[in-house]
Amino acid sequence: MTKLSEGAIEALSNGTGGNDAVLQLVNIRKIDGGSGLPRFRVMMSDGLHTLSSFMLSTQLNFMAEENRLAPNCVCILKKHVTNILKDKRRVVIILEMEVIKSAEDVAGRIGEPTPYTEGQGKGSQLAPNPENRPPLQQQNRNEGEWNKGFNRDFGKKAPSAMPSTPGDNSKVVPIASLNPYQSKWTIRARVTNKSSIRTWSNSRGDGKLFSMEIVDESGEIRVTGFNQEVDKFFSLVEVGKVYYVSKGSLKIANKQYTSVKNDYEMTLNGESSIIPCEDDCDVPVMQCDFVSIGDLENREKDAIVDVIGVCKSVDEVTRLTTKSNREVSKRTLNLMDMSGKLVTVTLWGEEAEKFEASGQPIVAIKGAKLSDFGGRSLSASFSSTLMINPDIPEAYKLRGWYDKEGHAMDGQSLTEVKGSGGGLTNWKTLSDVKTEHLGHGDKADYYTCIATIVYLRKENCLYQACPSQECNKKVVDQHNGMFRCEKCDKEFPNFKYRLILSANIADYADNQWVTCFQESAEAILGQNAAYLGQLKDSNEAAFDEVFQQANFNTFVFRSRVKLETYNDESRIKATVMDVKPVDHKDYSKRLIMNIRKLAAQ
Amino acid sequence: MEGILDVPKPRITCGMLSQYIGRPVCFVGRVEKVHPTGKTFTVSDGEGKIATVELVCVLDEELSGVVEVVGMVSNKGAIMASTYNVLREDKGIPFDLELYAEALKVIHEFPQHYPFEVAASG
Repeated sequence: MTKLSEGAIEALSNGTGGNDAVLQLVNIRKIDGGSGLPRFRVMMSDGLHTLSSFMLSTQLNFMAEENRLAPNCVCILKKHVTNILKDKRRVVIILEMEVIKSAEDVAGRIGEPTPYTEGQGKGSQLAPNPENRPPLQQQNRNEGEWNKGFNRDFGKKAPSAMPSTPGDNSKVVPIASLNPYQSKWTIRARVTNKSSIRTWSNSRGDGKLFSMEIVDESGEIRVTGFNQEVDKFFSLVEVGKVYYVSKGSLKIANKQYTSVKNDYEMTLNGESSIIPCEDDCDVPVMQCDFVSIGDLENREKDAIVDVIGVCKSVDEVTRLTTKSNREVSKRTLNLMDMSGKLVTVTLWGEEAEKFEASGQPIVAIKGAKLSDFGGRSLSASFSSTLMINPDIPEAYKLRGWYDKEGHAMDGQSLTEVKGSGGGLTNWKTLSDVKTEHLGHGDKADYYTCIATIVYLRKENCLYQACPSQECNKKVVDQHNGMFRCEKCDKEFPNFKYRLILSANIADYADNQWVTCFQESAEAILGQNAAYLGQLKDSNEAAFDEVFQQANFNTFVFRSRVKLETYNDESRIKATVMDVKPVDHKDYSKRLIMNIRKLAAQ
Repeated sequence: MEGILDVPKPRITCGMLSQYIGRPVCFVGRVEKVHPTGKTFTVSDGEGKIATVELVCVLDEELSGVVEVVGMVSNKGAIMASTYNVLREDKGIPFDLELYAEALKVIHEFPQHYPFEVAASG
């Protein structure tokens, strides 16, 4: 006969122990969890007493669903947490339990346990050898009331009469055990990441919020505070410090905004409290799931990732104005890790200004946003955390590698540095432009392609423009030796030739008519506009020859495309912003990568 | 020598030598060591493996850098060169041997998309 841990039920109920207690499962009952997840309530016995206030944590739901937890089986309670409800009753949450004897191997009820009462008088006296039926009915009644009490707790609006100082009546529970069904808990965790205050203003009103991520031995969770909670807690909380946090509201996590591994996320409310904790050595410093920089190519754009690397170089801080006319600071740095690949990271605001770049530090970013700008690049968003020379093993590994070999490597960058800043380097084929309806939206679309010139329109490719430095407007020939510019409101004895070149370019997929202005036209034709103007007037054969030579050359075109409506007709107009010779190495690499991606599908 | 110019000569790396014994191939690699007799030299491919090239006529100049060798593969896995040409490093973009090896891998992995051996029909 298996020996149960007599006295364990009393200890568990009082919150004074019960670790590794051997208990018999008397009854198990499924409860609708309310958020779609079922919860299981169990009644356990230690041979002396039974207690029905056991709840299975959701991670153990599978045990119930696989029928491992049948009435009469004997289990060891390996990990649990005792929560105290508002009405002083205790609920034991089972975090880890092992079945050591299945129900079939057990003869029946072990011992003659009676329900353990905690002075509430709810459990009425039971006959010594209770069968399953009577206690069950008893339980139903108890359970009904217990559930009600439970649900009352769930209503967070009820004001708390309990002081929420830690160590008072709330024991510290692990973050992994947090769920929406208990609201009276205290956790002890370290803040790993705190965002800045964000404000918003929409038709429903305005508000502000901040968010942070906290971690303890069992896991991590994201915490958000709105409006009043921002005022209460934002300045109190410091990254890296440990706090006791109680009574936040839990809900299913919105994974879109965070890479934190937890099914739930927490919102601070009027009852929540955050109190600094002095004793913090047990709480881990950081929970990061670093992605190798070489792997970033395989991740989807807009993914949230953690990265760590050596800051090989950093650029100066620049300031730019956003669409909402706000000025913001920006700074880019290059990170390299042991994959030999380099990626450009953009920092914003204060982080950009404060960044200390000396000595090629190890930089770790948690929650950086991956973008397809320039191929692949990273941005530290308002919810990312930047750490310089963090005290974690990955950092030391990187430092060692860099000092030995990394410093000599050039690193292959995943981010193409574009001279004409502000553009998105996205490679398209000419058929993509049509199938993806580029240019059909409100804004113009920009794309890059490799294409061959198949036709150049040499008629009307030159026009007479205003000779003033800044002005390129077409001048009107006054036929008296003078040329008038309407924009400058002046007349000039001369003009300068400028190019507007209409061309048809093609790749394997499709062709496209584009317009090239001065710089790109000159690059394609290999001559400057003034010289061409001269040739056109003096030597037509030579002029034609220029166009012949320019035909069938292949370039990298960076184009802008937009739908334009003219007299009821809408047409896509494509303008070449920039022309560059083909970088065959880069092109080959890209082709090989695309082939491999296709092959893997 | 004349015969070899008309036939398809697949581009290969060291790893594929054994599959092309007795067949004409084109091999691109970096010159490693030239034998004192000038009749043979070793080349390394984009993956770092070494192959031996044997010449009909003795080298009359010092050979270095990346070369493209056309010839037959002998039973011993060496290349009996019919002709070679040096890819000059002082002009243009330096040849990326590793990238070349990557490209060759793709070509050999998907022969259905790279039908080079469709001989020039007579």
